[in-house]
Amino acid sequence: MLGKIGVVTSWTIIRLPPADFGYQAPYPVVIVSLDNGESMVAQMVDYDEKNLHIGQRVVTVVRRTVQVKTDDVVPYGIKVKPI
Amino acid sequence: MTGIVSYGTYIPRSRLKLADIARAWKKNEKEIVSSLGIVEKSVPGVDEDAVTIALEAALQSMSTFYGKPSDIEALFIGSESHPYAVNPTSTIVGELLGIGNSYLAADLEFACKAATAGMQAIAGLIESKHMHFGLTIGADTAQSKPHDALEYTSAAAGAAYLMGDSRCLANLLAYTSYSSDTPDFWRRDGIQYPSHAGRFTGEPAYFAHVMGAARLLMEKTKITPDKITHCVFHMPNTKFPRDVARRLGFTPSQLAPSLTVDYIGNPYSASTLLGFAATLDIAKPGDKIFMVSYGSGAGSDAFLWEVTENVVSHQEIRKKNKQTVQDQMQNKTTINYVEYLKQTHKI
Amino acid sequence: MNIYIIGAATTKFGELWGVSPRTLATTAVSNALKDAEITTKEIEALFVGNMLSGMLGGQEHLGAFFAEELGISVPAFKIEGACASGGLALHNAVNSVLSGQYKTVVVLGVEKMTDHKPEDVATALMGAGSEGERLSGATFPGLYAIIARAHMEKYKTTERDLASVAVKNHYHASLNPNAQFHSPITIEQVLKSSCVADPLKLLDCSPISDGAAAVIITSNPSTVNKKHVEIIASVAATDTLGLAQRASLTELHATKDAGVRAFKKAGMKPSDVDIAEVHDCFTIAEILAMEDLGFYKKGEAATAIARGETMLGTSKHFVVNPSGGLKGCGHPVGATGVKQVVELFDQLLGRAQKRQVSHATIGLAHNVGGSGATATVHILKNI
Repeated sequence: MLGKIGVVTSWTIIRLPPADFGYQAPYPVVIVSLDNGESMVAQMVDYDEKNLHIGQRVVTVVRRTVQVKTDDVVPYGIKVKPI
Repeated sequence: MTGIVSYGTYIPRSRLKLADIARAWKKNEKEIVSSLGIVEKSVPGVDEDAVTIALEAALQSMSTFYGKPSDIEALFIGSESHPYAVNPTSTIVGELLGIGNSYLAADLEFACKAATAGMQAIAGLIESKHMHFGLTIGADTAQSKPHDALEYTSAAAGAAYLMGDSRCLANLLAYTSYSSDTPDFWRRDGIQYPSHAGRFTGEPAYFAHVMGAARLLMEKTKITPDKITHCVFHMPNTKFPRDVARRLGFTPSQLAPSLTVDYIGNPYSASTLLGFAATLDIAKPGDKIFMVSYGSGAGSDAFLWEVTENVVSHQEIRKKNKQTVQDQMQNKTTINYVEYLKQTHKI
Repeated sequence: MNIYIIGAATTKFGELWGVSPRTLATTAVSNALKDAEITTKEIEALFVGNMLSGMLGGQEHLGAFFAEELGISVPAFKIEGACASGGLALHNAVNSVLSGQYKTVVVLGVEKMTDHKPEDVATALMGAGSEGERLSGATFPGLYAIIARAHMEKYKTTERDLASVAVKNHYHASLNPNAQFHSPITIEQVLKSSCVADPLKLLDCSPISDGAAAVIITSNPSTVNKKHVEIIASVAATDTLGLAQRASLTELHATKDAGVRAFKKAGMKPSDVDIAEVHDCFTIAEILAMEDLGFYKKGEAATAIARGETMLGTSKHFVVNPSGGLKGCGHPVGATGVKQVVELFDQLLGRAQKRQVSHATIGLAHNVGGSGATATVHILKNI
């Protein structure tokens, strides 16, 4: 799933996050149609406002996801950033 | 010959202007910026850490590697900001890289020189024909206490070097190391921010060890500065590397390509290695590069590299993909002091 | 065999701080029994629709829980399908009666959600989505916002169009004594409300609510008396769990599939329907429902709603969400699917008072789970 390229097919900005994502809000969540034919939902990072549009090309990256207790294992997951 | 087979770098996008830090603490911005010589420093995203940064740098080094991740037989990661006190960064990154299971993984700590110590260890493993390929990564999301002097320079970045025994872009001609018990900068277990001993971090610490390792390397190889093309030194600020270069007999133009500190500050374990990558990005075949790292506590690792013609194809790919150190330093977005506090988890 | 609804009732929907799930259930069921003029002795099974009792209340096993509370030790089942739990509970109840296994059963939809921190409820509701959606930090408003954005891009639907759904349903709710909201709102108020997930604002979203609804269904004609309504179609459909895996972001296949099969089963078409209670968890969801159920062509529902074509008073014949919908009446998740049927029951029997739709003969209830993974459609006819 790393380094996969795709295009944004729709997007939103989450302003009222779930409890364990509070520390990252507000953040965009997008649907991506990958070049390999698969589709995925992911947070968008390292973006400017001009990247928030249908048709924006993105690449997958690894970042931390939910907030966990300080003695829990750190969760990593796939997000996307504009290219 | 043992040397570097490919390399990769990563600098997070956010930049915090030093003037903003000075303003937050009601200090004289103009004076601070001019005395430190740095305008802004790199800040990690709220969801970035040493693992994600190390991975980005490693993925970049894989993209110009003629083999595949499963060829890697050792992975050492040096950092002062490993996410766990116990649980290796190296196996998380190794798993995400797809190395498989047959490799030696280890996390290293030695303040800012953790990764270069890894390079010397891997050089030994390759030279002894124990393995063909070993990956070293220096990655940090350096922490500093708000209002402390370090706040102006502690930054974030990652640099990865895949070493091997064939088709090297830079051969490792010789290496030395110089160590002593000198507590100039430290962080106790369980404590969030490091402490330092002010001016003691200069002459008895940085200069004694960098020059100590450098002199050992010059004695060993009988080489003199005029026979060297470029030099790279650890960059805790803009003054120290310039001073030590001059004192060792190097000219400003020999040092210039490496000075990433001027643009992004000091990313601790990635500092020397990032300066080295910036130099490799413009080096010509035949160039000799003299590199000395520094880690508080204290020690320095010195290396003498010779660049080969293989460097050209790597430089071309990095330039084409807009992924040179210069490109990454210029790919930035400015944040303010409050965003910096959020992104570094202080609030 | 025909299935009849012989009694129905809901509690008030809203932030019922002092009311427990037990009280909600007993109120709804006892009023439904009174309405049906029967006692618990005739009840042969209990179907409970609910989503969050486990995650928020630590209580699973709701069939047994409510059977005991209601004093009926009969076969009892909890049915869960996120926000379609109520519709699914009714669908399963209908099937159990059609199978001949039982003659008369009660369907209870109940949810208690207001006793928790909003961010904890948001997290719990994401149990209706996919793991990928949870790990991306999406919320339900976020998922429907993504649908809205795609719909706006493809069909030029505007934020004002979305707002007109909220305005209509709040107006209807102001005529419904059991609704959570009592006052009409304006387009400007909706547009000015704070953004929850771009482009959806606070007033584009249905609220967090407590409430319960119950219906009694039977196959036994002799217990059916002067007031009866027949369930002429009960259909359920499924699509992918996650939005990213759907064939389209601008239509819900589960709704389309359920709608087509329900109309076929009932021998009817969309233009035969007089009143519809559709799943407006967010304003965009009602627009999609109008299109996916076949009431309007794709891309044409929004302007029709904005023109008042489906609103009490301005509609020529077809009224949508006379109860106020999820938006205006409230959305206690598991109760909604059952409440929709209670509303249709009241309308078809002419007892909807201030919000009565005249000449109402055919009613349709549409209940959706998650972002469209489950849909149920029920069609009701008065005799």
